[in-house]
Amino acid sequence: MHSMETRRKVERVVVHVVLIFFSIIMLIPFIWMLLTAFKSVSEATQIDPFVIFPTVWTSDAFAKVWNNMNFLLLYKNTLLLIFWRVVCAVLTATLAGYAFGRLEFRGKNFMFSLVLFQMMIPAQIFIIPQYLMVSKIGMTNTIFALVFPGIVTAFGTFLLKTAYMGLPVSLEEAARLDGCNIFQSFLFIMSPLTRSSMVALGIFTAVFAYKDLMWPLVVNSSANMMPLSAALATMQGQYQSNYPQLMAASAIACVPMIVLYLLFQKQFIEGIATSGGKL
Amino acid sequence: MKKRLISALLVSAMCLSLTACGGGGGESSDGGSSGGGSSSGALRVAIWDNNQQPGIQEICDLFTEETGIEVQVEVKEWDSYWTLLEAGASGGDMPDVFWMHANNSQIYMNNDMLLKLDDYIDKSDKIDMSKYLPQVTALYTYDDSYYAIPKDYDTIALWYNKTMFDDAQMEYPNENWTWDDLYDAAVKLTDKDAKKYGYALNVTNDQDSYWNMIYSKGGHVLSEDHKESGYDDPNTLKAMDFVGKLLSDVCPPASVMAETQTDVLFESGTVAMITQGSWMVPAFKQNEYTAENCDVAMIPYDAETGIRASICNGLGWAAAANTKRPDDCWKLIEWFGSEEMQIKQAELGVTMSAYEGTSDAWASNTDLFDLTGHLAMAEESTVEGVENMIVEYPFTYNAVKWTSQCQKDLVPAWDDPTQMEDKCKEFAKTMNDIIASESK
Amino acid sequence: MTNSKSEAKAPAKHKMTTWEKNQLFWGWLFIIPTMAGLIILNLYPIVNTIYQSMCKTGDFGRGNVFVGFENFSRMFADSEVWQALLNTIKYAIIEVPFSICFALVLAVLLNRKMVGRSAYRAIFFLPMIVAPAAVAMVWRWLYNSQFGLLNNLFGLKVEWISNPKIAWISIAVIGVWSILGYNIVLFISGLQEIPHDYYEAADIDGASGIQAFFNITVPLLSPTIFFVLITRVIGALQVFDLIYMVMDQSNKALPKVESLVYLFYRESFDFGDKGYGSTIVVLLLAVILVVTVFQMIGQKKWVHYE
Repeated sequence: MHSMETRRKVERVVVHVVLIFFSIIMLIPFIWMLLTAFKSVSEATQIDPFVIFPTVWTSDAFAKVWNNMNFLLLYKNTLLLIFWRVVCAVLTATLAGYAFGRLEFRGKNFMFSLVLFQMMIPAQIFIIPQYLMVSKIGMTNTIFALVFPGIVTAFGTFLLKTAYMGLPVSLEEAARLDGCNIFQSFLFIMSPLTRSSMVALGIFTAVFAYKDLMWPLVVNSSANMMPLSAALATMQGQYQSNYPQLMAASAIACVPMIVLYLLFQKQFIEGIATSGGKL
Repeated sequence: MKKRLISALLVSAMCLSLTACGGGGGESSDGGSSGGGSSSGALRVAIWDNNQQPGIQEICDLFTEETGIEVQVEVKEWDSYWTLLEAGASGGDMPDVFWMHANNSQIYMNNDMLLKLDDYIDKSDKIDMSKYLPQVTALYTYDDSYYAIPKDYDTIALWYNKTMFDDAQMEYPNENWTWDDLYDAAVKLTDKDAKKYGYALNVTNDQDSYWNMIYSKGGHVLSEDHKESGYDDPNTLKAMDFVGKLLSDVCPPASVMAETQTDVLFESGTVAMITQGSWMVPAFKQNEYTAENCDVAMIPYDAETGIRASICNGLGWAAAANTKRPDDCWKLIEWFGSEEMQIKQAELGVTMSAYEGTSDAWASNTDLFDLTGHLAMAEESTVEGVENMIVEYPFTYNAVKWTSQCQKDLVPAWDDPTQMEDKCKEFAKTMNDIIASESK
Repeated sequence: MTNSKSEAKAPAKHKMTTWEKNQLFWGWLFIIPTMAGLIILNLYPIVNTIYQSMCKTGDFGRGNVFVGFENFSRMFADSEVWQALLNTIKYAIIEVPFSICFALVLAVLLNRKMVGRSAYRAIFFLPMIVAPAAVAMVWRWLYNSQFGLLNNLFGLKVEWISNPKIAWISIAVIGVWSILGYNIVLFISGLQEIPHDYYEAADIDGASGIQAFFNITVPLLSPTIFFVLITRVIGALQVFDLIYMVMDQSNKALPKVESLVYLFYRESFDFGDKGYGSTIVVLLLAVILVVTVFQMIGQKKWVHYE
């Protein structure tokens, strides 16, 4: 008994040490970003010696950036962009994922290989052709334009297919015996079980939408229709950027994402899976 | 119940937002025909430099006051700007008015993407092409027609760290310096163990550094007819030899210069002198260290030839060939190019304006530095026996290709300067091949 | 499951059962939104790219001249392309296994009930949303050969990103670092679906944490691991942003680090030679295709679906 307890304690300490070590490594750029936002311009780029902590903590950068950029509008555009992309991605991917993962029908493998194939292409290829598409239907400079490339997702389809394939057959058979048709068994039984994968997909879609900057800059011309990432990119000068301001703006931009993540990840419930009927 | 109501409201708000069009009052986004810009409402103006935006915005506001035409300025960043322009040129919406750069002007002009301005210029009483620096006008002339009005020009000068000179009790650089003077001073200022150096130049500092040395020593980068490489010219090789000397004796290790750009090294007080372009003035103004410790002098001349050379590049204001409002676009371009607005641009201190005689305004935009170092290049030399030579940026149809290739091919020579001559000669052949294969 | 499979594929020309008809109907109905979207949005650009790889492209998409396989023969003779292919593969060989292993261990640790779990999860998520400019700055500072933290802290004189022999490893390290958060999120979501009962049973039987890990976690998580493996291999082979931001084009190690997408971007966007750029993309596609197919075949050997 005694040794089991000590073993558990030691395990816990070891775990924390490992996690803290990795956490520090993960945090370094974030901390750097925050510190740089408080430095003077020359301290931000100085290399000999490197300046870690500002000699004088100035919040000028934050003030300037907040006044020059309409962050509330940028937040709004970014949130709309994320919302629509997440909704579209989760809806289309969960339907397709279920079909690919649990049904058998003619043409399934060919179609899925098309899905996989699409993931293999570098994203830069799509920018100009998709821009031309949006331009031809006259929807440039709208939120729709921002969402456009993310309406469907090959990645999400694959993710959900994997999730569905991991669910036990017995459930479905039981549902069938009870008289559910495919649609009902999908809606009421199978899809709720893939909740954590849908949440993961939501998180990724949100992050990729947030990071996407080339596309918004090309398709939307008005500054009122920019999301955060694009606005940040325009702060970079051709030869040099004002780093404290850039970092201040980036820090302010991180806030909604962190909030969103914390909200989403509450859905990752305490590690107890209820895949009923298993054991 | 409340929750449901709120979610319902949220959802409908989201739905409405999807199709909302961009922009505040007064603009309409055009139904996507492949013509450029909007048929009513604001003119779309695209630029890529955030630093210049306040100044440009002010000039546009004055334009709107004067003519009543609304202008919407879009700021992009370098990469996305050209992607956007290309996308627009490939069949989408080009902005109405935008900046043109020597790198791409040939391609755009050759493909009829830019509005031809000849007729407008002839009828205008504000624009007189002879008033602009000819080296810049040449960049935007094609088949004897004008496609952009010069906006600004830049020159290269010698920036130095006063504090480092003071500590070594040395005299500051001045307009009487030759390249040898620069070398000697750099040697005195170099202390490799203390990681302090006299001069720095990276292989990517072509326009801001070694191209100037090449022309100063009587060599050339590109032949007059824009068809042949000058890298095997004996005078060019002399200049590159000098570069090799600098690299071995007074510069930081090549990898350090590649990893940390030379302007950052300068701003950190690691390097006492660099040659840089006038476009860096806003950045140097903003950086507290350079603002306090640095100043600028004219770029040195060559003792043998007596030539003081500076490459000159400049942006131009162009309009889309298929814009729906060519007359309005012309009005705006004319406005930007007019003497008054060129003076205003210079006052705002961003770059030197291309219109002759507007430079004094730029000089007074800051008292941190003595900007005659940059300005005097465009004027007659005040030093006896020395000629000030402004060199047109060596452009070809697709100059980016060989300038990038050059930077790549010379990297080994930066690492080991004994290879400099061979690498230059090799590159001359490569450059000729590239130019020959440029599609026209 | 196996029953209906053999029914559907039986060569006998029997009429489809209702069950089969149902699956056909619902199956197609469910995939149509996604497939329609993918085909409309992406099919044309892909086909166009393949077409362009066989052309000498003109400016702005005009004046393309069909030249057959000329670009391909140029590419096969271009040693820079082959070096880039090698670089890309080397990068993937480091990024994928290390990021998966670390992420797996971390995800398991973060899946237990413990103090500070939400905080840790948020911390590991941060690299995914920090400004790329900040990330590039920090790593360039860490790796700077004369003034960088690593060299000054440990008294070394290593050219982390300028030495052609090791630069690719340094870049791969950044790659692993930046993708850990992504992998961890996926693994956590996969772990959610493993019933706790298994672990309880193992605990009662006296199994240690490590034994439980290898005998329960890994097999039951194998579908997720497989998914991460495939997507990360594809992602790693497409590496570009990292190299573009951390390595200046005058860096002497660049030829030994530049990836295929880096070359493609340079050719298509900087040089305007979309034809040759497309050829490079086709090569990349072929490589990714082959690797993915192998992985799919190998799937049966180690991935356990229910």
